[in-house]
Amino acid sequence: MNMKLSQMMIALFMTIALLIGLEIVTATILPLFGWHEYRLIFHVLFIIFLAIRLDTPLVPWLVLILQVIHSAFSVEGWAIGTFAGIIILLSANYLKEILHLTTAFMTMITVQLFQVIWFVTVTCIICLKISDFSKFGMVLWSFVPGSFVLSFISPLLFWSLERIWRESSESTRGVGI
Amino acid sequence: MKLINESSKTKIVNNFIVGILAIYGISQKSFQLDDPTLFEKIVTEVISPVQEGIVASKQSITSLWDNYLLIVNTSKENEILHKQISRLERDISSMEEIRKENLRLKKLLNYSDELTHHKVLAQVVGWDSANEFKVIRVNKGTRHGIRVMSSVITDQGLVGYVYRVTPNYADVLTILDQNNRVDVLVERTRTHGIVEGLFNFKCALKYVMRNEPVEVGDKLLTAGVGGIYPKGIKVGMVKDIARENFGMTLNIEVVPSVEFDKLEEVLVLVTQDEEEVSN
Repeated sequence: MNMKLSQMMIALFMTIALLIGLEIVTATILPLFGWHEYRLIFHVLFIIFLAIRLDTPLVPWLVLILQVIHSAFSVEGWAIGTFAGIIILLSANYLKEILHLTTAFMTMITVQLFQVIWFVTVTCIICLKISDFSKFGMVLWSFVPGSFVLSFISPLLFWSLERIWRESSESTRGVGI
Repeated sequence: MKLINESSKTKIVNNFIVGILAIYGISQKSFQLDDPTLFEKIVTEVISPVQEGIVASKQSITSLWDNYLLIVNTSKENEILHKQISRLERDISSMEEIRKENLRLKKLLNYSDELTHHKVLAQVVGWDSANEFKVIRVNKGTRHGIRVMSSVITDQGLVGYVYRVTPNYADVLTILDQNNRVDVLVERTRTHGIVEGLFNFKCALKYVMRNEPVEVGDKLLTAGVGGIYPKGIKVGMVKDIARENFGMTLNIEVVPSVEFDKLEEVLVLVTQDEEEVSN
């Protein structure tokens, strides 16, 4: 099945709306209830979904768009996440033959793997930017607890995103657009 | 035989272009100061009222839950009476909240009288959604005279400085953030040091020589060096000192004087020049 551009725009719009909703949960609702440490970085799941499930040359641009939206909620900005997203895309491209997200458990494991790639990339860039690798362990550790929670809820989010992007969950690599 | 088809070529080109853009963006990125793009300003201005609304409605929902939903199981014959009691309790609860808020704001304003800057009272409407940055968003911006690098305080002490600002909202880089470095003085010994953010609402005091007589419980104040923070604002208290057998400086852990997990309102200090610019 090939997706038309208009369908893709609708799917992208819905994805952005969902991302904004989840960013508000992380940035406002959870802190209101005392959840300040180990935030849930939902946009990572969106990027991993795009990398694994969509088979289109436009994915890098979609990653860029989602990161620009994310930058409204974080001083991290769009660039670091976009670069990490490209690394995820390249990794997914090489691993596509062995990725079979047919069960929730496999989805969690795969998402955890890609989160590690993401967080190591982002942490390295941040440490390079602040010229201080002594905090590498601390920055990386701050990601770990939240990443387990994200992996745990990833099957549900992927299911929602698959409905939005109209893909079959039987398909491992997704379809062309 | 073609090794790479057209789709793969497009993918490679797109990855390359976006990757180059990202590297350029990273090279331009500063974690100490930011000038938001027009798009970022628009997105922030559109989304932040939602965050503000959520914060404002939390108190109402809590009050509703406490005063109404928990008593829905009362017996029918006392229903009218209970409703009256409930309404009165809700009124009292609201008044109590207002009283507490008044006390808090009074305290804040009394504290700020000691400072010569113009003060802008702002409410915290959100936190940074990334783990590695400790940034809060407040509901006042350039329209209220706030500019980048304005100091942010509470009656408890120093919160941080304004990192980026839009017409109605501002992001504040707190002292918990690893990119925020505050020049401080140990109140008792007048020893200089730099406070940097760690994790779990703690900070580190750096560059204090081993022979300095710093003790657990010593209070830290801003040194007024660097042109961002006024001198004499409370920053935190020394919690732990690790004296290693090596190195020239001490490893000092600091507890911030501000309770960041209970932060609701802050004061942004605006200098006269900033005010004139805004007018």
